[in-house]
Amino acid sequence: MIDVSGLWHYDGRTAIRHKVDLRTGDDGFSLIGDNVDMGPYRWSDLVRRDNSPDGPVYGLKDKAGWRICFAGGVPDAIRDQLPGPARYGRWVDQLGFWRASVMFLAVSAVFALAVFKAPDWLAPNIPFAWEKQMGDAMVGDFGGRFCNGPGGQAALDALVRKIDQGKPAVRVHVANIGMVNAVALPGGNIVLFRGLLQEAKSPDEIAGVLGHEIGHVRKRHVVQALMRQAGLSVLLGGFGGNGGGYLNAMLAASYSREAESAADDYAIRQLKSARISPDDTAAFFARMSAQEAKLGEAAAALGYVSSHPLSQSRERAFRQSKQAGTAYAPVIDADQWAALSDICHNDPKVPAEDSLFF
Amino acid sequence: MGIGTQDETAFSFDGDWRELAPILFTNLMLSIVTLGFYRFWGITRERRYLWSKTRFIDDRLEWTGTGKELFLGFLLVIAILFVPLFLLQFVAQALILRGHTAFAGVLFLSLYLVFFYVAGLAIFRGLRYRLSRTHWHGIRGGSDDPGFGYGWSYTWKTIVGSFVLGLLIPWSMTSLWSERWNRMSFGPHNFESGPEWGGLMRRFLLCYLAPVVALIVAIAIVVAGAASGGSSGGMAGGALAVVLVLGSIYIVLPIMALAYYAAFFREMIGTLRLSTLNFHFSARTKDWLVLMLGNIGLYVLVFALALAVASMLGVATLPKDPQALAHPPIATLAIIGLIVAIPLGLVGGFVRYRNWHFFIRHLEAGGEIDLASLTQSSTPEPRQGEGLLDALDMGGF
Ligand SMILES: [Zn+2]
Repeated sequence: MIDVSGLWHYDGRTAIRHKVDLRTGDDGFSLIGDNVDMGPYRWSDLVRRDNSPDGPVYGLKDKAGWRICFAGGVPDAIRDQLPGPARYGRWVDQLGFWRASVMFLAVSAVFALAVFKAPDWLAPNIPFAWEKQMGDAMVGDFGGRFCNGPGGQAALDALVRKIDQGKPAVRVHVANIGMVNAVALPGGNIVLFRGLLQEAKSPDEIAGVLGHEIGHVRKRHVVQALMRQAGLSVLLGGFGGNGGGYLNAMLAASYSREAESAADDYAIRQLKSARISPDDTAAFFARMSAQEAKLGEAAAALGYVSSHPLSQSRERAFRQSKQAGTAYAPVIDADQWAALSDICHNDPKVPAEDSLFF
Repeated sequence: MGIGTQDETAFSFDGDWRELAPILFTNLMLSIVTLGFYRFWGITRERRYLWSKTRFIDDRLEWTGTGKELFLGFLLVIAILFVPLFLLQFVAQALILRGHTAFAGVLFLSLYLVFFYVAGLAIFRGLRYRLSRTHWHGIRGGSDDPGFGYGWSYTWKTIVGSFVLGLLIPWSMTSLWSERWNRMSFGPHNFESGPEWGGLMRRFLLCYLAPVVALIVAIAIVVAGAASGGSSGGMAGGALAVVLVLGSIYIVLPIMALAYYAAFFREMIGTLRLSTLNFHFSARTKDWLVLMLGNIGLYVLVFALALAVASMLGVATLPKDPQALAHPPIATLAIIGLIVAIPLGLVGGFVRYRNWHFFIRHLEAGGEIDLASLTQSSTPEPRQGEGLLDALDMGGF
């Protein structure tokens, strides 16, 4: 039995500071002083609190505000009974700073890898029917902005059937919006904008651009992108504030470069098997690049180039896929092309818009 | 015991940034390797240090909050706020795609109102949490009110405050301050707050009128210049007018706003009472100005350093190929992120240290405290921390 003197004590019931002595007992101690609950208390219930200028302070588990401070120093005889200081948090204190850092880093790396790579593995295993349900619910009739001039949709469907026979069939529509672009939305819903039809010089160009978007659908890139965006918002949630949000948008705004070239490969393969010349698509890319160079990046910000970065290698890949000795024929005949080109023009019901606010 | 005598102030702070630095550096390191999730524990360490260096009369304050509480608060907010928001975003997109823009508009408007409500709730619960984790002599503060009513008050008072061209903002700020502090307590005593907003109007009008006056003066100068000296006089007058307008927006207006805030805090804290204690806040506009300039200076300094390091490493030179720019490699993004995140993460801690020091340096209290009647608070202890406040990026008090 040891007596330690010179402690001060708060009982957590009033703000009065009591002068107390501490007397050790079997695996615990009691406090001796006027108007003080003497205990006994167990060593194992003590919790280390932040130091007072007077000395080390301890609290009691489940007793808010209860404190003792060894204002006269801690005798060696009881030092081993007292809990050590809490610094970084329980896990780090137990492991040590550097060991914990390395372990956290490893876990974070695995987690980050999973977020980046898991969509690639998971997306192909999600039933297309689910994606289609969600996509159709989202897109609907596109607010009545789909063009339906006589013969236009039939020509478009004929074009699509030439380059894609996959199941379930993709749903391609032309929206009466002036942008030169095409997008693949969830569930195989592909939207061509009127601007693209006006810009195109032949149906084969449309076939190439459409083949690329269908490639995104068939390779499940759309679901992949959605899943990656959801994963990133969890991954970056830890950083809080706006920084994570901006980074997230930057990373998820477009398909990866691998996805883009996979979509190109798909388009090239489909054009080849349908005996459609890839020359016109290559020419379309060249025209778009030249236009961007002329208009500057800002003007092209919403157009085809911004969502499908063009490069000479892309153009070359299309050009080089042409095979000598193959008899190429236009994807649809001249009458069909005329109906498709005028699909919006011949449909007075559809409202025209020059932009789309997503 | 009687406090607040001439030669001894009731509050004092004896922290040292050199003691804080190792805490901030290790916090940063652990935050990076945990993808930011350590920050809840980091904030707790930072507060424990600041509180433990703050003395009130004869003993220091003690921060008893934990990182786990803050983390749980964060998870709660994600679950009840951000997951529904994330799903609603799909609904809104679908509505726009399908052409129901009016519905989408109604949806956004109601989300906007919900945001106000949640912001008010967050401010109230953040204050309540901080008081409940602040101990002095083993006694803590808190509130019996969960703050749901305050959320509504915050919503309608903020909206009414913006009526009449925002002239009622001093009223809404003052009345919201007293509404939340009147619901807070420390030990058995309730805080009492009865601030007046009339006295703040003069400074508020000044910061309100500064740009208008500058614009009128600028127009007068242009007109006078054009009348007196033909085209060259008009040019000189125009340049002067532009300087004047920009100066009033970027220099005069912030100083006026600071002057308003200085008066606001003096009035708010000066009319706050706790049983027989009264409080006083002495910071004047020039003190606030020095604080703000110092904080801005810290950010500028550290950013300049980070940029210098970045350009030395050659990371600042971005690839020329437009395709490479549109899809920068993850490694480049990560390095840029670290160069921005490391300085910002560190400076934030030092700025919070300066703000706390400033707050305590200018805080005074007078009156009597009876330690025997200062009994333990009976308010409920919130189980999770200031998740909402944290999620919405808002400050305390
Ligand atoms: Zn693409």
